[in-house]
Amino acid sequence: MRTSIFVLSIIIFLLFSVISISYAQDAPEVSEQGKEVYEESCAHCHGVEGRGDGSAAENLLPRPRDFTRGLYKIRSTESGQLPTDKDLFDIITIGMPGSSMPGWETSLSADDRWEVVSYIKTFYEGFKENETPPKQISLDGKIPYSEESVEIGKFFYTQFACFECHGNAGRGDGTSAPTLQDEWGFKSWPANLTENWNFRGGSSTEDIYKRFIGGIAGSAMPMFEDASFGLSVEQAQRYAQLENKVEMTDAEDEEFNQLDENMGNAYDILDMMTEGIANDEQKQKHAEAMKVFQEKSWHIANYVKSLAPEKRPEPAIGKNVLRSQYTVDTLPTIDDAVWDTLEASYFPLVGQIIVEPRQFNPTIDSVNVKSFYNDTEVAFLFIWDDRTNNTEEQETEDFGKTFVDAIAIQFPVKVPQDPTAPKPYFLWGGKKAVYLWQWKASAVNSVTELTAKGITNAEIQEVQGDIQAESKYTDGQYRLWVKRALKTDDKKDLQIEQGVFVPIAFSVWDGANGDIDTKRVISSWYSFVLEPVPSSRRFIYPPLVALLSLGILVGLRGFVQRRNT
Amino acid sequence: MKTKMLVCFALLIACGFGLFVFADDHEEEEMNKLVFSKETYKIMKVNNGGKISGVVKFEGEVPEKKKLAINKDPAVCGVVDKFDESLVVGENMALKNTIVYLMDVKQGKDFDKDAKVELDQKECRFNPHVQIIPVGTALTVLNNDKATHNVHIFGTSKNGTSINKQQTRNRKRMKLAAAKGPEGPVEVKCDIHGWMKAWVAYVPHPYFAVTNEKGEFTLEDVPPGDYKLGYWHEVCGNNNKEPVVVTVAAGGEVKQDFTLKIKK
Repeated sequence: MRTSIFVLSIIIFLLFSVISISYAQDAPEVSEQGKEVYEESCAHCHGVEGRGDGSAAENLLPRPRDFTRGLYKIRSTESGQLPTDKDLFDIITIGMPGSSMPGWETSLSADDRWEVVSYIKTFYEGFKENETPPKQISLDGKIPYSEESVEIGKFFYTQFACFECHGNAGRGDGTSAPTLQDEWGFKSWPANLTENWNFRGGSSTEDIYKRFIGGIAGSAMPMFEDASFGLSVEQAQRYAQLENKVEMTDAEDEEFNQLDENMGNAYDILDMMTEGIANDEQKQKHAEAMKVFQEKSWHIANYVKSLAPEKRPEPAIGKNVLRSQYTVDTLPTIDDAVWDTLEASYFPLVGQIIVEPRQFNPTIDSVNVKSFYNDTEVAFLFIWDDRTNNTEEQETEDFGKTFVDAIAIQFPVKVPQDPTAPKPYFLWGGKKAVYLWQWKASAVNSVTELTAKGITNAEIQEVQGDIQAESKYTDGQYRLWVKRALKTDDKKDLQIEQGVFVPIAFSVWDGANGDIDTKRVISSWYSFVLEPVPSSRRFIYPPLVALLSLGILVGLRGFVQRRNT
Repeated sequence: MKTKMLVCFALLIACGFGLFVFADDHEEEEMNKLVFSKETYKIMKVNNGGKISGVVKFEGEVPEKKKLAINKDPAVCGVVDKFDESLVVGENMALKNTIVYLMDVKQGKDFDKDAKVELDQKECRFNPHVQIIPVGTALTVLNNDKATHNVHIFGTSKNGTSINKQQTRNRKRMKLAAAKGPEGPVEVKCDIHGWMKAWVAYVPHPYFAVTNEKGEFTLEDVPPGDYKLGYWHEVCGNNNKEPVVVTVAAGGEVKQDFTLKIKK
């Protein structure tokens, strides 16, 4: 009896076990170590269940990735494919510049990072079912960087309609930019291609090429199948040229139709490839056309690469400090070409997160400044990128309220005697007051003088000094020109002296990003100086020395000649 | 001693049962908008099948037609006024764009192989707004605009339906890879023209219909039997939890109407 119960129990147990194991096979293996590390380091943003809904997620934009749909932005694989393990490992290691995702190279061991890779893969069943490895983007046929390639790339940047989102100058200010959302319905901005240090997946030409070919999953960035498939670079250029012609000759008409037909045929073959019904000859033609498409894509990658400086500029400290240049002439106006002769000083900006309401997701990277002065006045040119030109408050259905773009340039009222002396609190002063120039996109040609003793404690100065201002917004970039006398009669104003380092700081508001009041991007204190006038002695002494040397040499020669005779 | 043993065995069985339940829990399927049978659909010849037809109506206050703001390419996109199509209510409260389908059909007719599976882009509007696509069939996207679009389908990499492909103005037709499995409906969007939206459902059998302007749907050649009849609508949701059961007789016709409200 006892034996039979025992045997029966064992049988029942085994039965349940077998059934449960067979069911459990669908559930991917869970890496305990990976789970532990994930829950400790990743879940706060990405959520315990990987849905991208951790406790911190709400404040972040771009939002933390939702791992349950298997959509990964940064991949070495083709569109619609899952990433490789190495792709995931690299993102965890390096992080995603311009987003809240940090790199974990120094805080997690390589082993931990690999375990996290296997763990996050358990959030999406597609990883388990995928038997064939994801198809990688081929980097063959890379075209080396050259002026010529950049020029061709620029043509295809237009042909592929990149400007629709990224804008004519690449500043992410295309006409589609304001309405872009990701697949989860969150606001998503196209990359500012001139600030490639913020590219989530890196800024090498190869990185750019991979994003272009593979698209950015879950975002508006699509994959491309050529804008002129089957046409060579030259043919594509010719096609565009003919297309834009108002009147074509018969010969041109014929040429255009021929190109159009070739392109149509190539696209037909592409469709057959998609359906898997192409024959060998068609496959051959497709491979040839793909090669040309890759060539075009490398040109675009080179062009995008050319839009940004080699490296992120150094902040305006030390040798990069903002030095206002002396000129004897009248100061240049906003459009004067002489501004181009100066290198701008770069002031990086960060979200203001000290005082409510805060800005956790800044959209403005930096402000760049140039300056000239003469004996009585100083002129500044403030330049910053903003994807949208918001000149008034607006209620938008999809993206909530937008506000007016603005900038405030901050100085202390009293310049500290020496650079180490304490300055006013960097957030619009405290006990020590600050003096501000505030400009708003709603009044493009004026600045207002403010005095502030705290970020929420600013007053418009009763006496508004004589400050000239002019601004322009072009292709996703503001340029604000401001001119003021070096000295004023107003005690609340900053008085500027040659050779003295003057503290300077910035606040910038992107109205489309919800910036208003304390919600803004800011800098800490930097400084600028009116570069002392170069001494005129340099124009006297060197020629004098030269003349003297010549005299001595002539004399010496005469002496030698006389002695010889 | 005997009691202890019994308790042990009982515990052992309980553990086994627990494992089973746990595994079953884990297996729980993600919530689809439509219900797709797990069994593979079997194609057979249907002789003297039945017909299910009906009308889907809307109940509640009909919101005012919302005109879409056209902020791009006005020469191409702004010629004809466009309206939000998430809730299209016609005469007699007829509700357009509702998918009505059989949830649990296991076998029946094949898809109509001659039917064109096309999504048109004309004057920066997707047409149709809701469409069903057989699993394994490539969708052809047309571009009848002198403008560049991008066809962005919010699908999954698992089914090959995560697609975001640019279609320049030079490309009149573009095939999209066929779905590997049933899914959806999933959203289709053109990001370049943010107002352009549509829905596609990748379906495993042909007993799916989308209601027309009059709210009408028809499912034909249904093999006789009992079926769960489901619906889905963009803003009115689905009846996955309480489908209507219909009995189809050979050669018979079943009438089944639905009245839908906006999902809270």
